[in-house]
Amino acid sequence: MSALLERLAGEQQLPTDDFGDIRRRAQAALMQHGFPDLKTEDWKYTPLKLLEKREFSAEQAASSALREPGFKAVVLHFDNGLLNLDDLDLPAGLRIEPIGRESLERADYGDRAGAFAWLNLARFEQGLRLVIESDQDRPLVLALTTAEGFAADVHPRLEVEVAEGVSATLIDYQYDAGAGLVNRVTDVELARGARLNHVIRRGGGDSAWIERTVVNVNDEADYRVHVLDCGGRLTRQDLRVHLLAEGANGEIDGIGLVDTRQHIDYHTAIEHKVGHTNSRESFRLLGDGSGVGVFNGRIHIHKGADDSHSDLETANLLLSEHARINTKPELEIYAEEVTASHGATIGQLDDDAMFYLRSRGIPADAAGALLKYGFAAAPLEGTEPVEVKDWLLEELQRAL
Amino acid sequence: MLRISNLHVTIDDKPILKGLNLEMGPGELHAIMGPNGSGKSTLGYALAGREGYEITDGSVEFEGQDIAEMEPEERAAAGLFLAFQYPVEIPGVNNAYFLRAALNAQRKVRGEEEVDSMSFLKEVRESLKSLRMDESLLKRAVNEGFSGGEKKRNEIVQMAVLKPKLAILDETDSGLDIDALKLVAEGINRLRDDKRSFMVITHYQRLLEYLEPDHVHVLSDGRIVESGGKELAGRLEREGYAFLEEAEA
Repeated sequence: MSALLERLAGEQQLPTDDFGDIRRRAQAALMQHGFPDLKTEDWKYTPLKLLEKREFSAEQAASSALREPGFKAVVLHFDNGLLNLDDLDLPAGLRIEPIGRESLERADYGDRAGAFAWLNLARFEQGLRLVIESDQDRPLVLALTTAEGFAADVHPRLEVEVAEGVSATLIDYQYDAGAGLVNRVTDVELARGARLNHVIRRGGGDSAWIERTVVNVNDEADYRVHVLDCGGRLTRQDLRVHLLAEGANGEIDGIGLVDTRQHIDYHTAIEHKVGHTNSRESFRLLGDGSGVGVFNGRIHIHKGADDSHSDLETANLLLSEHARINTKPELEIYAEEVTASHGATIGQLDDDAMFYLRSRGIPADAAGALLKYGFAAAPLEGTEPVEVKDWLLEELQRAL
Repeated sequence: MLRISNLHVTIDDKPILKGLNLEMGPGELHAIMGPNGSGKSTLGYALAGREGYEITDGSVEFEGQDIAEMEPEERAAAGLFLAFQYPVEIPGVNNAYFLRAALNAQRKVRGEEEVDSMSFLKEVRESLKSLRMDESLLKRAVNEGFSGGEKKRNEIVQMAVLKPKLAILDETDSGLDIDALKLVAEGINRLRDDKRSFMVITHYQRLLEYLEPDHVHVLSDGRIVESGGKELAGRLEREGYAFLEEAEA
């Protein structure tokens, strides 16, 4: 057994609650498969050396500071990973309840590629189910922050359900100031005709941040996510969008920034399970210093998912000799009458554009910053509502 | 205003300008004509300071200052403007933001205060209107998705806002229909005064009919081989550049 496995699973007591059997099953799966290594295809660019060297502390860190976004919102603060359930003041149509057995019993994360999800299932401290029952006029912000001095491993688990025909905006605002492990699993279900504007704004410190998000999109439902990842010591996001019924639509737009001592890895998959479903993805990485960025975007159009449509593009900008970007768009089509496209580019700042800006009086540094901003802002332009878009663009400007 | 003496410019060690001499006084409009490959665009880029355009001999003085070692942004702040033959698209950077950043960067170098956004927008809107461009262009990314004609007119808008002392217009008339050509010519004429100078690089007499150049020069093989008044442009239009070879023969 690897030291990491021993530290994170073997030596630990499982939480005691009604889910003991489920937890033991997950623990057994994890012990059997172990953690991924560089020979695990889905993890080959993301070594876990950082985690292997790290000692996790069981001590409670001080409360983390909540950063209020600059717009009116309903904010739920997951302080060091856990939501304080006392004094929750939720608007009408929004409900939070403990997670139920049923979905946990069904959970299957396969072999070692799914080790962190098994770990989450074995060890989650707080399992919550968030139900959005009616249209929300304010965005809902899930602020997951860690404090300086945070050195624990936490395994938050969340289910989000958007009811039939309901529209909502959900913002994952994640800010890390610690040096622990955040290992979250989120399952999202969009009922018929529901629409979810999802925003992921992440960035920060020295923690390892591992997220697995699975979104089930039912008939005529519409899932759109915009990602602004400002880089972290080790970030891995798995994002899977399942288009389950006719008229389902899934769109992913994202930008990840990495600089020295940062590593981010986005593995996305859009599964067209039936026909007449649409998807689009545009993901960008900007690498500076000795940062490492990984993007693996997979579109899978299943057998029988005829008349589906999908576009996938990834553009990448390398700003320094030592930055590294591994990018791979994947298109697998087993259906007929499908229109699909994919493309990938990696480049540097455009000389023509630099000269154009400088010829208008903008100094080289500022011209470079403007071009970086232009590159990074493009995937965020379609964010709704507009106050959230403006906030994201301000956050981006600060990050650059 | 501008004194170019014995200018030699190479690109990747290939000589393009081979001893070019030209003097321009304040308030003058000079047209530069010449066959393809004669070095017209190279002259524009070399004056604006593009990397890779190496001055190997001769000098360029702009208002008494040697500009050969100056960065492109320093030249811009000193009052030099190049309207590009092929304006560059800058995705994700909004036109209004870009133009205001450019103007304020120049003003900062000159020790002037930043323009406030109200008066800036008022001026840009007036320029857009006079060039019959839609105000929505301000919110769009620089030149992205613009038609060829819109890109060229956008260069004139930038010139009107930045108010250079010397504007170099590199084939701004190419690709314009007759109505757009008139608008561009009007845009240039509105800016003419007894101090501001223009170097208009063009293939055709058409634009010059609206601009009334003070001098017309013919550039051939990296040198100015003929200079004259506006009647020279008419002669070139009628006879082409064949007479150059005859003169050389």
